[in-house]
Parts: sequence; structure tokens; C-alpha cells
Amino acid sequence: MTKLLEIKDLHVAIDGTEILHGIDLTINAGEVHAIMGTNGSGKSTLTKAIAGHPDYTVTSGDILFKGESIIAAEPEDRARAGIFLAFQYPVEIPGVSNMYFLRAALNAQRKARGEAEASGAEFLALIKEKARLMDIDAGLLNRSVNEGFSGGEKKRNEILQLAVLAPTLAVLDETDSGLDIDALKTVATGVNSLRSPERSFLLVTHYQRLLNHIQPDFVHVLLDGRIAKSGGKELALELEDKGYAWLEQTV
Amino acid sequence: MTTQTLNSLQLAIDGFTPQSAEPAWLSELRQDAADSFAALDVPTIRHEDWRYTNLKPLLALKLAAAAPAKITLGDLKPWLIESADEIRLVFVNGFFDSALSRIPALPAGVLIAPLSQLLGDDEGLPGKLARYADHHAQPFTALNTALFTDGAYIRAGQDAVLETPVHVLYVSTGGQINAPRTLVLAGENAGLRLVESFVGLAGESRFVNAVSEVMLASGANVRHAKLLRDAAATHIGWNEVRQDRNSNYTHHSINLDAQLARHDLNVMLAGEGAACTLNGLVLGSDAQHMDNHLVVDHMRPRCTSNQLYRSVVDGRSHSVFSGKVIVRPGAAGTDAKQQNNNLLLSDDARAETKPQLEIYCDEVKCAHGATSGQLDPDAVFFLRSRGLDTRQARNLLTYAFANDVIEQIKMDAVRRHLEEVMRQRFHGLLGE
Repeated sequence: MTKLLEIKDLHVAIDGTEILHGIDLTINAGEVHAIMGTNGSGKSTLTKAIAGHPDYTVTSGDILFKGESIIAAEPEDRARAGIFLAFQYPVEIPGVSNMYFLRAALNAQRKARGEAEASGAEFLALIKEKARLMDIDAGLLNRSVNEGFSGGEKKRNEILQLAVLAPTLAVLDETDSGLDIDALKTVATGVNSLRSPERSFLLVTHYQRLLNHIQPDFVHVLLDGRIAKSGGKELALELEDKGYAWLEQTV
Repeated sequence: MTTQTLNSLQLAIDGFTPQSAEPAWLSELRQDAADSFAALDVPTIRHEDWRYTNLKPLLALKLAAAAPAKITLGDLKPWLIESADEIRLVFVNGFFDSALSRIPALPAGVLIAPLSQLLGDDEGLPGKLARYADHHAQPFTALNTALFTDGAYIRAGQDAVLETPVHVLYVSTGGQINAPRTLVLAGENAGLRLVESFVGLAGESRFVNAVSEVMLASGANVRHAKLLRDAAATHIGWNEVRQDRNSNYTHHSINLDAQLARHDLNVMLAGEGAACTLNGLVLGSDAQHMDNHLVVDHMRPRCTSNQLYRSVVDGRSHSVFSGKVIVRPGAAGTDAKQQNNNLLLSDDARAETKPQLEIYCDEVKCAHGATSGQLDPDAVFFLRSRGLDTRQARNLLTYAFANDVIEQIKMDAVRRHLEEVMRQRFHGLLGE
């Protein structure tokens, strides 16, 4: 098994307040891990720390990606190395069309990796194929990034970016929140189609229902900035059944 | 104001001799304007309307009188707007250059020519030129009226429609005081599209003192873009627009470069149901100073006005937006909107915003809003998480902010041209 992501005794603070108090987590290539937890347990902080948000400071511990420490790397360098974060609250960017943005992002990554940039025609073919996969109509591609999109459209647009940028590690921060069942299925279908032996996923979710559609290999429960319990996908069902309070008592 | 500096502009007037003999009406007009200029003070920051724009640097400039200069089409290349059937008037230092200009066959009722060719009675210029741009009240309008050498005359008679934009290029070669003048007359139900480019070759600091008058008869439609692209210019431009019933006027003031720019736009909504859309974009860098000063006068009922002005200021640059909407008694059904957004890219950049409403009538809808701020850090992080570096992310967001104004331009060739200019300015976005 190739270790893709290794998180070692990770402590993360924001504005001087420590949120994560020592996380250990290893994700091998091709695996799907789910992180579950209540609001305030540190789920989003973990995703931001992996993506390199400048407001989140690693105070001790380390994050290794493909064997190398990334905690000093800029967010764009992490992205170019193959890390992708699907945002819980995708940002609206009025005035930049989705197409323009996606092509700029794709070419920035390709250029940094020393690959040929996508030509207009090549990009168009790629985006059309991926948009069909995500059930995104062409009109959405020509509109400003996320501006005036419904909640479901925004989340599907995140997965579209994931499909186009084709990272090796995709971190999905509560991609299921606010989705109706149809949108959830579309998102899950998109994610499932992107699973491969080389690509790993870290799904962060509050609820078990996303995991009905995307089967994780491992489930971890985050409680007060620590992983309180890890297990297989049955852990999610147990949690759904007994509630987070059950874990709080057992810890 | 020192006597010495005031004299430098006064000297320009005293030393002015027209290129050729002028008709009596014009000599009288110039004399009247010269007298007004002598009587009016050049405004200082103690004048409320000039509070944020200090003209001391202008008054310190050593300026020669306007003189013709020879330039080539190659010199104009960066500013030409590609379009299948371009109509182009070129004035160099305020003098018409027929070799660089292009006036094709025009539809019936449309006349495009340099003012200098129309000073006889045929076009009735005495009753039209300087009719609304008031040189008794505005010193720089007085200065222009006393000094203008030439300028563009564009007229569309009743029902005449010219779809092709007329591109007027006012080129400065440096070190001079240039006074270009534009007169646009759109007759009943006529349609016109006009781009005025104020551009300059690299060189000595110059002063461009422009006046444009635009008159729209009832039902007329005029789209008017003004592009300022002269890094060595102090540009003071006065724009007087008068609209009759149900006419429609669109103005795009795109200020890409200037040492100091002051752009006054006065729109008189003088006929019921007239509508105007006024947009502006300022891109300031280094120590540039760019001031937009608007007055929209709702004189009659059921007129609408819509303003969107944005500025992006970097370095130590400074932008000013002052927009006044006046709703006169009896102007019921007025619908006025005003929006000003400022993006500050550096700690030393400044943006002033001064919206004003003067409403003397009930039953009106007036909305205004102003914002000033920096790039959204969450948006920057979002873009970086997709692989763009910080510079690319900031450029893309800045481009987007500015492009909202460019997108309003409904003259396709002009919009595409400016989009390309913007892409180059915020380079490295697409790798094209």
C-alpha cells in the first residue's frame, strides 16, 4: 500500500486558539476515508489545514503528502501537487466565468508541473465531458463562478472542478450539507465515478446519509479536536443509530 | 493660487492665435470665454467640488502652446479598435490629421467632420457649439472654449441611425496644452455610437483640457465611451449632455492611465421619459489621481438614471467619486440608481466616495450605495486552493471586479478591445 497522506500528531490553532489537539491519520492510495463529527469538533479545521489556509497554523506535528512534509507549502503548491479541497461554502466570484476560471486553474497547475497547457479546443472537450458527468448544463459554465447558483449547483460545481483538475487527494468538506436527495445522488455519482486505485478521498460529513451513496473504507469520528474512534463503514451506521452522545460517554 | 501659476494658463490664452481666420461669431465666443476665464479662479481644494483634487501639479507644469505634429498610423496601433468598417477621426495635439482619419460613405443625414471645416453657416454651429457647456461658470470650459484648435463634429439628423461606432482619437505628443472639443448632435429618433480616445505618446507631461457636448433630441439614442490612456497627461474633461423626451444616453468613462484626471459628467434629463446609463472604471497605479465628478439632473418626470462607477487603486494612487443626483420639483416618477465600488489593492492607495441626493419631489425612487474594501481573502484562498498563485488570484479577482463595468459596454468591438487591454494589464491569467 502506498501511503498518500500521513497526518502525525497534528495540532492546529486559529487566532492562537488550538482546535486540533493531536490528529493521527494515514490514507493510502485509492482509499476513501470519512471523518464524522459534530459542529465544532474540528472537521473543517482539519480540511483547511490540509489545504493550507493561511489562517490555520500548525503548531506541532506534521502532514506528509506522498512522503513529503507540506505544512510549509503554499496552498497553490499543495493544489499543484495533487490536493483538492471541495469547500463547504464555495466562494462566489462575480465577473469571472466558470469556464475562464477552470481553464486558468487547470493551466496554472499544468504549467507548474511542467505539462503542456490545455488549448481552447482541448479544454472545451474536457469540460463538456466532465459537465455531462456532473449533470451541469452549459449555461452554468458561462456564468460567473458560483454567482447566483443554488446550493446544489455550487456543490456540483465543486465536484466539476474536482473532475477537471483530477487531484490524487480530494478532501470534501461537508459537500452533502444543504443538498436535497437528487443533488446528493448526483454528487455521489460524480465522486464514485472519480474513484480509482491512485486517487484517495477524505469525506467530511456530519451525517451518515452521504455514506449511503459513497461507501467509505474507513470512518473516523472526531471529537473535540481528536479522533475518538476509527472503524469500518459500519461505524457510521452505529453512530447514526446511537448518536454522537454515545461516543462522548465512551471516551 | 499664486499669480505666477495662474498666469501660465492665462498666458496660453493671451498667446493664442487661430490657425486661420475665424468667423466673427467664433472670435466673439473665444473672447467671451477668455474674459470668463480671467474672472474665474482656478479651483483649489477649498472649493467643495475640488476638495480631493489638487491642481497644484498642473499649475506647476511648463506648457507650450498646441502645435501640430507628424505621427504615423503605427504610433496609433495600440489604441485602434479593430472593426470591420471603422470610422476614425484623428486629432494630433488638437489638430485634425486627415491622412490618419477615415471617413467612409455615411448614411443620409449623418455628418462627421472636423469642426474646423464647418465654421461657416451651413451647419449652424453658432447656435450649437457652446450652447450647454457653460464657460461662464466653469473655468476649464472657458479655457477650452478660448483655446480649442479643432475637434470632432458628429451629427445624425432625424431618424438617421449610424450603427458603426465613430472613433475619435485625440493624441497628445507632449509638453503642450491641448484643448480638444467634441460636439455630438443626435436628432429626433437618431442613433449614434461614439468612442473618444484620449491617448498620448510617451514624453513630457502635458495638459489636455477637453470639452464634449452631446445633445439628444427626443427619442435619440447615443452610446458614448471615453477612454483615457495617457500616462503623461493631466486630463481635465468636461462633458455636458442634454437629453430630450424619451432619449437614451449611455456613457462609459474608462480611465486606464493619467497622471491626474478629472472627468466631469453633467447630464440634464430635460425631457420626460429620458434615460441615461452612466458607467465608469478607474484603474489607478503609482501616484495617479483620478476623479469622477457627476451631476445628473432629473428636470422632468419619469426619467431614469443608472450609475455604476468602480475604481481599482494600487500603489499610492487616489480615486475620487462624487455623484450628485438632483430631482427637481415636478420630476415625479424619477428612478435614480447610483452604485460606487472601490477596490483598494495597497495600504497606501486611497478612494474617496461622495454620493449626494438632492430631492425636491415626492414619488421618486432613488437608491445609492457605496463600498470600499480589499480583495476578499476567502476568494483569494479559494483560487489558490485551485492552483493559482497569489498574484494570479489577486489579478483574476481584480480583473473580475473591473470587468463588471467593461461588460456593460454594448458596442461589441469596443468591449472586446477593452477586455483584451484588461487581460494584458492583469497578465498571466489564461496563458494565452
